[in-house]
Amino acid sequence: MSSNRELTMSSYVGIGVGLMLIVGIEVILTYQHLPTRTLLFSLLCLASLEGFVAIMYLMHVKYERPILFWTIFPATLFVLLLLCYLWPDAIRMATMRLLK
Amino acid sequence: MDQSSVAATTHHDVVMEPSPYAIEKKKLGMWVFIVSDACTFGAFLFAYGYMRVGAPVWGTPFEFSSILNGVVMTAVLLSSSLTMLASVRAAQAGAKASAMKWLGVTMLLGGIFAALHLREWFKLIGEGWRLFHNPTGGAAQFGATFFSVTGLHLSHVVSGVIALAFIARGYQRDRYDASHVETVGLYWHFVDLVWMFVFPLMYLMNAR
Repeated sequence: MSSNRELTMSSYVGIGVGLMLIVGIEVILTYQHLPTRTLLFSLLCLASLEGFVAIMYLMHVKYERPILFWTIFPATLFVLLLLCYLWPDAIRMATMRLLK
Repeated sequence: MDQSSVAATTHHDVVMEPSPYAIEKKKLGMWVFIVSDACTFGAFLFAYGYMRVGAPVWGTPFEFSSILNGVVMTAVLLSSSLTMLASVRAAQAGAKASAMKWLGVTMLLGGIFAALHLREWFKLIGEGWRLFHNPTGGAAQFGATFFSVTGLHLSHVVSGVIALAFIARGYQRDRYDASHVETVGLYWHFVDLVWMFVFPLMYLMNAR
């Protein structure tokens, strides 16, 4: 993870073009009329990939000490995953029916 | 900043223990802020997901023209991240004029992004979308979630442009150095990072 050899500016432009290509794939997937869950999963995977590249290269985490990554990201991810406790209630609302 | 310069710091003639992160305090502070802000955006996006899953009928207001507008906004913001990188590199190389030029371009791109964002907002408002009103008869919460999530992001973009202007002014007057440009750049990249999640979840998932 930690490396002192930074990329050249043209390499960063290449990363930017790559990120735009991922956005293009997201738009194409949107118009394939996929089931909502499949589309959501696909978009989240692609967005996470974009986010990872942005964090590592644009935000330079790749060139910092690994301890920075291991201090920040597992804890942030854990907090965000904890928010998943909301889903059962959301699904309950969607399937809720009046008993009488 | 190189590792040796932060290996040990002195304060009132006392040698302090070196930072395990080998980065400056202001940069570490920015990372802590970014983590807290990521949790804020995460909570907003989860709230949107909760309401969307829970609603029996959800609105899909975005025609292809709006999606295209979103793609252009993404390209503008991504380009601004690259110009920000160019500015940081120039500042670290001591090329002040070049750093100032790229900071100016980054601010301009941030302004264009905000203008495109507001154009989309006014279009939706013109169609009758409000915080608690859905003109198509679907869930009223769409407006609340869309305007709050994108509004929070827009406020970050505007704050970023103001912060860039503030740092650029100080950098030009030699009050700030390259590390300040790098730190504000970190914030700018974070704003870009958040958009990478907001665009697919708020726009693409609501395309007609």
